[in-house]
Amino acid sequence: MTQPWKVNVFGVRHLSPAGAWHLRRYLDALKPELVLIEGLSDATELIPDVTRRGTKPPIALLAYTDSLPVRTLIYPLARYSPEFQAMSWAKEHDAEVDFIDLPSDVFLALQDVEEELAKQQREVAAALPPPEKADPVAEAEEPPPPRVSVYQQWAQRGGETDHETYWERHFEHNLSDDAYRLAAYEFGNSLRELEEDQPRWRAENLVREAYMRRKIAAAIAAGTKPEKIVAVVGAFHAPVLTGEFPAMTDEELGSLRRRKSKFTLMPYSYFKLSSQSGYGAGNHAPAYYELLWDAMRTDQLEQLPSQYLSMVARNLREAGTHRSTAEVIEGVRLANTLAAMKDGLAPALVDLRDAAVTLIGHGELSTVKEAIARVEVGTAIGELPAGVSRTSIQADFERELARLKLEKYKTTVKAELSLDLRENRQAKSTESAFLDLNRSSFLNRLRVLGVSFVAPLRTSQDSATWAEKWALQWSPESEIQLVEAVLLGETVELATGFKFKSTLENCKSIADAAVVVRDACQCGMMAAMEAARKRLQELSTETSELTAIAHAAHTLGMIVRYGDVRKFDPEPLMPLVEELFVEGALALHSAATCDNEQAMKVIVAIDEMNGLALEHSDRVDEPMWIDRLRRLSDADDRNPILSGYACAILLERGLIANEDLAREVSRRLSPGVPADLGAGWFEGLSKRNRYALLARQILWAQLADYIASLDEDHFRRSVVFLRRAFGGFTAREKRQIAENLAEHWGVSADVAAEAIETKLSEEEEKKISDLNDFDFEGL
Amino acid sequence: MAKRDDQSTSNGPAATGAVLRAPAEILFAREIAAIIAADKYEKPPGWQMSPRAVLTYIAGGTVGDTKITPKYIGHQRLVEIAISTLVTDRALLLIGEPGTAKSWLSEHLAAAINGDSSKVVQGTAGTTEEHVRYTWNYAMLIARGPSPEALIPSPIMRAMESGSLARFEEVTRCASEVQDAMISILSEKTISIPELKTEVPARRGFSVIATANTRDKGVNDMSAALKRRFNIVVLPTPKTIEGEIDIVSRRVRDLATNLELKAKVPTAEAVEKVVTIFRELRMGQTLDGKSKLKTPSGVLSTAEAISVLANSMALAGNFGSGEVSAADLASAIQGSVVKDEEKDRIVWQEYLTNVLKKRGAEWRPLFAACSEQNDAPAPKAEEKPAKS
Repeated sequence: MTQPWKVNVFGVRHLSPAGAWHLRRYLDALKPELVLIEGLSDATELIPDVTRRGTKPPIALLAYTDSLPVRTLIYPLARYSPEFQAMSWAKEHDAEVDFIDLPSDVFLALQDVEEELAKQQREVAAALPPPEKADPVAEAEEPPPPRVSVYQQWAQRGGETDHETYWERHFEHNLSDDAYRLAAYEFGNSLRELEEDQPRWRAENLVREAYMRRKIAAAIAAGTKPEKIVAVVGAFHAPVLTGEFPAMTDEELGSLRRRKSKFTLMPYSYFKLSSQSGYGAGNHAPAYYELLWDAMRTDQLEQLPSQYLSMVARNLREAGTHRSTAEVIEGVRLANTLAAMKDGLAPALVDLRDAAVTLIGHGELSTVKEAIARVEVGTAIGELPAGVSRTSIQADFERELARLKLEKYKTTVKAELSLDLRENRQAKSTESAFLDLNRSSFLNRLRVLGVSFVAPLRTSQDSATWAEKWALQWSPESEIQLVEAVLLGETVELATGFKFKSTLENCKSIADAAVVVRDACQCGMMAAMEAARKRLQELSTETSELTAIAHAAHTLGMIVRYGDVRKFDPEPLMPLVEELFVEGALALHSAATCDNEQAMKVIVAIDEMNGLALEHSDRVDEPMWIDRLRRLSDADDRNPILSGYACAILLERGLIANEDLAREVSRRLSPGVPADLGAGWFEGLSKRNRYALLARQILWAQLADYIASLDEDHFRRSVVFLRRAFGGFTAREKRQIAENLAEHWGVSADVAAEAIETKLSEEEEKKISDLNDFDFEGL
Repeated sequence: MAKRDDQSTSNGPAATGAVLRAPAEILFAREIAAIIAADKYEKPPGWQMSPRAVLTYIAGGTVGDTKITPKYIGHQRLVEIAISTLVTDRALLLIGEPGTAKSWLSEHLAAAINGDSSKVVQGTAGTTEEHVRYTWNYAMLIARGPSPEALIPSPIMRAMESGSLARFEEVTRCASEVQDAMISILSEKTISIPELKTEVPARRGFSVIATANTRDKGVNDMSAALKRRFNIVVLPTPKTIEGEIDIVSRRVRDLATNLELKAKVPTAEAVEKVVTIFRELRMGQTLDGKSKLKTPSGVLSTAEAISVLANSMALAGNFGSGEVSAADLASAIQGSVVKDEEKDRIVWQEYLTNVLKKRGAEWRPLFAACSEQNDAPAPKAEEKPAKS
């Protein structure tokens, strides 16, 4: 038997600048002919595109299934990725490069297997009888402490709170020869010994490693000497890539499940990179790691703390908060001391961040949070040469078009599409019964993503939520917008979800959040709607503005009302509607202190609130609303129009008895009250349900008495306001008033009507318009 | 205040007999000695133990066979930052709400680092520049003219001479000229005495630990120049509700004995409810994190929760049944939540209707009592000034 083969293995952590730096030195020293990289083995053909001029990291290798359910795999590459540097090195030195991990079709099928296993587990758990609750002793027992991951244990042993910091302190600052490779090898070895991973993960890793050995053995068999091969893999796999362990056989390879797959390169962003979590896939501070990489390459690692802190200070200054250089210097000293307390070679990111908060933020994280995010995450977006990218979202788009029978609309000719969201009862399958509803969700998603292929048209029946009208027109811009959307997610649905998430984070007012709730509902995305609901709830605490609260509550109320058309359960929204309603009711009284212009907006809000109170009287706190209306109606120190309006609503609901109304009218219109207040109140009162007013004779009697009691000056003044109050009445209504007054004065209705309806003479017109300019200050 | 909470944990054999309260270095003398004996790391100039040993002293642990009681729990990283600040000879400013153990931490840092926490300047509206720099024995000054013997150095000046830590409590209570006096001390690290034509330079190891209360903000706000000379660490309110309940119930028990309140100590359930309400309103969200809330204008500190419970005990003892009832709690809570009449009242009303009302039967009595309290002074009456 021959000696088992042994190649040079370099274990790395993905997205590790020190890994990249050490790897390049290692490659320089060994000058291998073949570089093998842990990557999808069928995607080797993409390597020339990765290293091509015009490619600017961050980019990502994306593999996806071209059928449902869509499974995707993403391998992000930044400038400081060891894998990226290995590819660049190979290109510069004319060495061959090959990917040796499982091919994408097997990998994607593994996700299916995982999903099935998870489903099985859920079913098993559901089938088991629920744990008995009868035993009080068992209940009193402490729940078992949450399992601490092996990475976490490792970090705690090193006196750190998280693995990231542990890794950075022990691996990223050490530039001694070969330190990284040896340390990573040991690290991987000890992880394997602990074997703490879930069995599923372990099995997957074993399969992958067997395959990698198979590829390495094949490379050796093809004629490359083992010592001229370098394999770049995750530290975990490094210890087992030797000929001592069995390689995967043809038979084993044949037995693996496969899903037909496609892959492509796509531009990536640092923001996206930082928002992914988990080993290998993400990197919480990409811009900082790039700084680290640059510092290492230019041999200026000791400059990094000053660089980081001055950048934070500079960002803060640009935002208008001054910080001195002295504070930056002290920050560097503090960071160094913090690192020294942990035996670190140099300050790690946590030390720098804490120093920034203490010195530059004056102890407050909130002051420097944004500046820190700019320095740590950055805004870099990758670029690819034209034509390289063929992304999963484009494939998903085509598939959806086909499913929803919309393919014929993908032309450059504008076409209109009318949708009826209601169930089509003649249809045979549920899919076709709700075809239009599904179409609407899809088109709305594209609308939210800003793909100009779709444009909503207003329907004539604005109130009928089951009808929708769209204009569809395909253009090259739409294609670009679609490709850009892949940065948000791999399919249309995922991208829309991410878009909602980021929109919500930037939401400033509850009106914005309410729009997102509505959009999410229209897109048929319940999870996003739930998130939007939460955000709306959060934002509602920051405002006490009645108009905003009422409008949001009203919007939600509408969604609840038409929930059944869109086939979703509106129940989760109701508690929020209730809360907003309480907030709105409480805000009413203070909102009623305003000028007449604002009062018109408040009236809209009151209508919205009142509508809710009537529609959902079983859920919302209606008694409180009535109580608040009553308070407003009784108040003398609020805008009189609004007081009058509140009174009108109470009147309409039959909550004010005739004699109470009479008392109130006479109080409001008593001689001592300035005419504008009395007339304003009357204007508010008459803004609603005039029939209820017209039918109350007592009201008109009071009004007539009031006018009779005025002296000349006061009369002139009240004429202006009363004229305005009655300005909105129709001729028929005016006539009815005339009748009412006639009855009071004891004349015939016709005489009174004639007096009212006679056109004003020019002289009279002038008098009244003079009155309008009349300076009331003196009164 | 919760500042002196942990006195009862004294482990030293200190002869505290007649003394009401012994300083930390005496109370914990045994722990300090054990730590120094076991300390094998390098000590910065002027320090009696290494930074790591200071951390052990504050955060607790075991040294040899001596158990070190934790003095400040929950925010170890902040303690690390504080210690590192003092290593870099920068001055340290601890900011926090009342009851966040600022002075407690400052005292223990000084006790651990120098074995002397007694060089204290207490900042008040009456603190003058002399308290910060030096003053004179005027009888001697008049009799013999300026001389070193007639000079009375301030605690800060003594700390400079000996190269140790001085403490400055409640900086923001002092007038701005007194704060300004600190600027030159912290940047020049000397105090000049023109009368004697000399100056006192600070020896290595000198630094200042100052504390400031967030609630004093705006009273005598610190100047940017002074802030710049400090590393600022903000001490948060107790992290977990359990921790806060613990502090509150302990303090309430103490208060009840000290003030000889005649009522029974509130039940654990009552304490939990009050702390829950306070925490939720302070943090602006419910404990389960599911909904956000508006916060009232007052700072609902731990100290205030303590006084609410003590108040309700006083009410129950003097005017009630002797057992703290929901109504007693309600009136005390009302007093501390609703400060700025109209706005706070709305916030409180919203909290009551949207949160407490839905909490189920246990909360029902408290909810009812609070609602009644909040509605009690009919706003109608005050808002109806007679027109004309």
